Amino acid sequence: MTTGNLTLVLTAAVATGLGTFLMLPHRHGRVRSRIWLVLGGALAAVGAAAFGLLLTPPTDWLASLFFYGFSLLAFAGAILMATNRNPVNIALFFAAVVLSTSGLFLLAGAQFLAAGTVIVYAGAIIVTFLFVLMLAQSEGHALYDRLARSPLRSSVVAFALLGGLLYAIVAVKAPQESMPAAESEADTAVVPRLARGSDLEAKLNTLTETGPALVYRMASTPTSRLIPESVERAVHGEPPPHVAGLGGTLFTDHLLSVEVAGSLLFVALVGAAVIVAPRRPIRPGERGLVQSTNSR
Amino acid sequence: MPPPFLPALDRFAGLPLLAAATPGRAFGFDILTNYLLVGAVLLALGMLGFLSRRNLIVMFLSAELMLQGVALTLVGFGRYHDNWTGVVFTIVILTVAACEAALALALILVLYHRRGSLDVTLWQDIRETGVPPARERPEEAEPIVVEPGVESYPRLTPAGVEPPHPRQPWERRRD
Repeated sequence: MTTGNLTLVLTAAVATGLGTFLMLPHRHGRVRSRIWLVLGGALAAVGAAAFGLLLTPPTDWLASLFFYGFSLLAFAGAILMATNRNPVNIALFFAAVVLSTSGLFLLAGAQFLAAGTVIVYAGAIIVTFLFVLMLAQSEGHALYDRLARSPLRSSVVAFALLGGLLYAIVAVKAPQESMPAAESEADTAVVPRLARGSDLEAKLNTLTETGPALVYRMASTPTSRLIPESVERAVHGEPPPHVAGLGGTLFTDHLLSVEVAGSLLFVALVGAAVIVAPRRPIRPGERGLVQSTNSR
Repeated sequence: MPPPFLPALDRFAGLPLLAAATPGRAFGFDILTNYLLVGAVLLALGMLGFLSRRNLIVMFLSAELMLQGVALTLVGFGRYHDNWTGVVFTIVILTVAACEAALALALILVLYHRRGSLDVTLWQDIRETGVPPARERPEEAEPIVVEPGVESYPRLTPAGVEPPHPRQPWERRRD
């Protein structure tokens, strides 16, 4: 944990926290709120720059460009989402955050998940939110949109959490390339290192206890290993099909999860239909009764 | 490879333009750290939105933002350990988020119809015993700024002017 990293973490947490506190909907004295918005935005931009310096660039320019673009779009979208006054704008900034996380999924190689996130989140969930906002909203002038609940305490708590998480993530050192050699060195200080699953294979195959051995064997079945592209090209001569591998693992290793998720969707559908429209059904032969909506 | 022309771009010096120039593990530990950092930011900002806003719908959207951060963390770890489990669990989370959105919005609509407002502080009667209620101080709210825009007034016919003769058959008087 270098001092430079610690400084960046503190700068990011404190600057973003202070900037977001100034931007939250709250009357800060007699000054016009536009000034506080600009000041808070400048502080949050400083925090974003510190955060951007904490990220390490990927191995090529194009991936760096996209990665930094998506990360900073997610950061900005989240801040603007938390501090806007109009709920429709908040839903649209959430759509921007969803698109940037979808881009990050694509950069990590999860192509199906990128498409699925855009379709389900940006295409279904946000549209549902906008419909409900249309039915139940008073255009951002309501008191509950112009006033935040205890902005100082919530900002302090959220950015204490952010600082702690950033510190914990940045403090973990990269694993050495050859793990057994590093273990045998005289490493007196206990330094947290994160080993990769495939590196541990040789070591964990020698496990004799049933618990860890069983878990490891189940986690490393052939259908659940992501085959690296270089191996796939060497063996088959073509890039690996992502959706085929994902389908293979979903329907062999995680079949029960898939069925449970389907049942959950069905139950939620029935539940939502029952909760929203509890009307007494008109049986055939009855005269149509005048039904009023839920009492206001 | 474009040369760095600003000192801040020195960290990109020496990088090739495309990944094909450097074979090897594309998703190393540093990229994993990147994903975890972005996920942590989304989680913390979602928590800030959840704690500090009063609108029920906005609180729920902030909870969904926290779920996005968690999904990024899961996908990062899954790719780092060369395992599908991260992606599969994110798909399950996506499903659960869709169900949760449907049910939560249905409940929010019912609550709105009961009180006529989306304010969460109206429902403080169900808070924990021993916790004082949060007082609402309207003088601390931001004032509504009405920005004068271009107003378009409707064109009304002046009173007393006879309308033109009926042009269509259904505009004729039928006595």
